[in-house]
This record gives sequence, C-alpha cells and structure tokens, in this order.
Amino acid sequence: MKIWHIILVISIAGLLALFYKGLWGDPRAIPTVLIGTQAATFSGPEVRTGEMLSTNRFHGKVILINFWASWCLECRTEHENLMALNRRFSPNPNFVMLGINYQDRLEDAQKYLQEYGSTFDHVRDLKGTISIDYGVYGVPETFVIDQQGIIRYKYVGPLVDTGYTHLTDDILQPLLEGRSISRS
Amino acid sequence: MKKALIILILPLSLLFSSLTPVALGATVEEQPIDLQVREVAKTLRCTICQNESIWESQAELAQQMRDLIKERLLKGETPDQVRAYFLSRYGDYILLTPQKSGMNWILWAGPFVLLAGGGALLYRTLSRWVAQTAASKQGDPPPIDDRLRKRIEEELHSRED
Repeated sequence: MKIWHIILVISIAGLLALFYKGLWGDPRAIPTVLIGTQAATFSGPEVRTGEMLSTNRFHGKVILINFWASWCLECRTEHENLMALNRRFSPNPNFVMLGINYQDRLEDAQKYLQEYGSTFDHVRDLKGTISIDYGVYGVPETFVIDQQGIIRYKYVGPLVDTGYTHLTDDILQPLLEGRSISRS
Repeated sequence: MKKALIILILPLSLLFSSLTPVALGATVEEQPIDLQVREVAKTLRCTICQNESIWESQAELAQQMRDLIKERLLKGETPDQVRAYFLSRYGDYILLTPQKSGMNWILWAGPFVLLAGGGALLYRTLSRWVAQTAASKQGDPPPIDDRLRKRIEEELHSRED
C-alpha cells in the first residue's frame, strides 16, 4: 500500500470518528471558559424583599449560584433538589446558596417562589449583566465558587439524578472539607 | 351599528398602519455610538439563536448584550476591548468569525489544504489514465486469453462450415 493510500484511509477514519462523536453531543452546548477564573461579583435586589444583595458579603465562602426563571420548565424539575441541597449544606457556615432570576417578570418570579417555596435568597438580574458576566446562555445553569472566589464548576441543565449527586458528593462536599475536586 | 363601526375603523387602521413605519423611520437618527454598537454586535454570535449575530437577533439576551456593548463603549472602551470582554465570558464561540490563532488555523487553512491535496490527487490520477490510454493506442492490442481465443476460432469455423 502506498503512503498516500494510508494517509487517505487515516483521514477518512478521522473524519468518520469526528462525525460519530458529534452525534452524541449537544449542538447548542457552549463550552465554558470560566472554570478556574475569578468569579464576577454582583449585586441586585432580592426577589421577595427588594433588599439589595451583594456577593461581597459572602467572601470566603463556598457559593452555589443557580440561574432560573419562572417560565423555565426544567427549573421546576430541579427545584426540589435545590431545596434538599440547601437543607443539607446550609448548616455549614462556609456555604451559601443564591438564585439568580433570569429574564423574568417580578410578579411571575414572586409567584413561582410562593408556589414552590424557597429557603435561600434570589437576586434579580435586572439588565442581564450578571448572566452575561457568567457566560449564561439559558436556564437552568449552576455555578460553584470556592472560598477564594474562583469558579470551580458549572452545570448546564436541571440538577437531577447523577447531575445532582455529582454536584453534592464530588464538588460541594470536598470543597467544604478543603479537599481537591476533579475538574469537570 | 356593529357593521358601521367596522367599516369606519378598518380603513382608519389600515391608514395608520401604513403611516406608522414611515413616521418612525423619519424620527430615528443613528448616532456615532450606534454605528460602533452595530459594528461590534455584528461580529458576536447570539447564544440563543446561534446562527444570528446579536445585532440581528430578537432574543432578550441579545438586546441586553447590545445594551451592554453600548454601555461599555460609552465608558470609553474600544470595540476590540468590548469584544475581548465577551470572549472572556463565552469563549471563542461568541465570535462569528473564528480568531486566526492556535487550533483555529485548522479551520482557516483546512479547506485550502484539502482542496490542494484533492487537486493534486486528481491531477496525478488523470495523468496516469491519459498515459495508459496513449500507450495502449500506440502499442499492440491487448492480449486475449485462451478461452476467448478458442471461442473466436470456433465461431470462425462455424461460419466457414
């Protein structure tokens, strides 16, 4: 077999492998570039009380940020898990959880929280700047920021099943115990 | 009464609907900053409707991005600095035209390399075919196998008979 035959076969096999890999990916998924970078600080009014909240007050804590909206159906599927997550980790003084209300009407967001309940604060993203700072392109999206203010984890989609257990057991628990986490 | 009301309202609504865009068009005036916003927004991909730029997209996030571009330009940032900010938040994906650096060179150079390779392969194959055809025309006719020769002889014999 000549050398160019080999090159041709390898090239075609490579292309087929790429196409096959592409079949299983999410074409809308945008890979994040924020892991390992300093998290942007932000402030905004709390959805229910209107009180101004700023992430500056949570410096030195592990912060979980969840972007959601009342019109988002997938947000409803993860809501119970978010509540359970907060119940599990909120006794730890080094943990705080924040919801970011994304592209929503205030009355709809308030009604949603009244209906489904919530035990943590939710900041309104009035001009979309918080979402853009975090490279958000849809909801729900969840971020974990470590004690040094570095973004350590991002999850796109509802936190259910293995997505939820991975976040709680492999990311939050080790971070709060000062252990290293696998980058994913 | 109802019919009369419709007859009265319909022509009026048509008249106003045809006039409104003209009136609006006459009052909108683009400022230099809007030109800069457009220049930047046209180079950034809408992350929701991913085949459009944020200038063309009607998504709310795209509108918020346009507002943020304007805000940053008004603060004194250059168009390149604004693009760099979006790049730092969303990565290469946000740029409608990939940067000419690193692995992106494969995207830029790949089609030309493939075209050149394919062209060379085609040229080589065609040259061989042409050479083979020319050689076969000049030389002896191609040999025939024994089975075919035997059949030809049989055919000839049968004709003679």
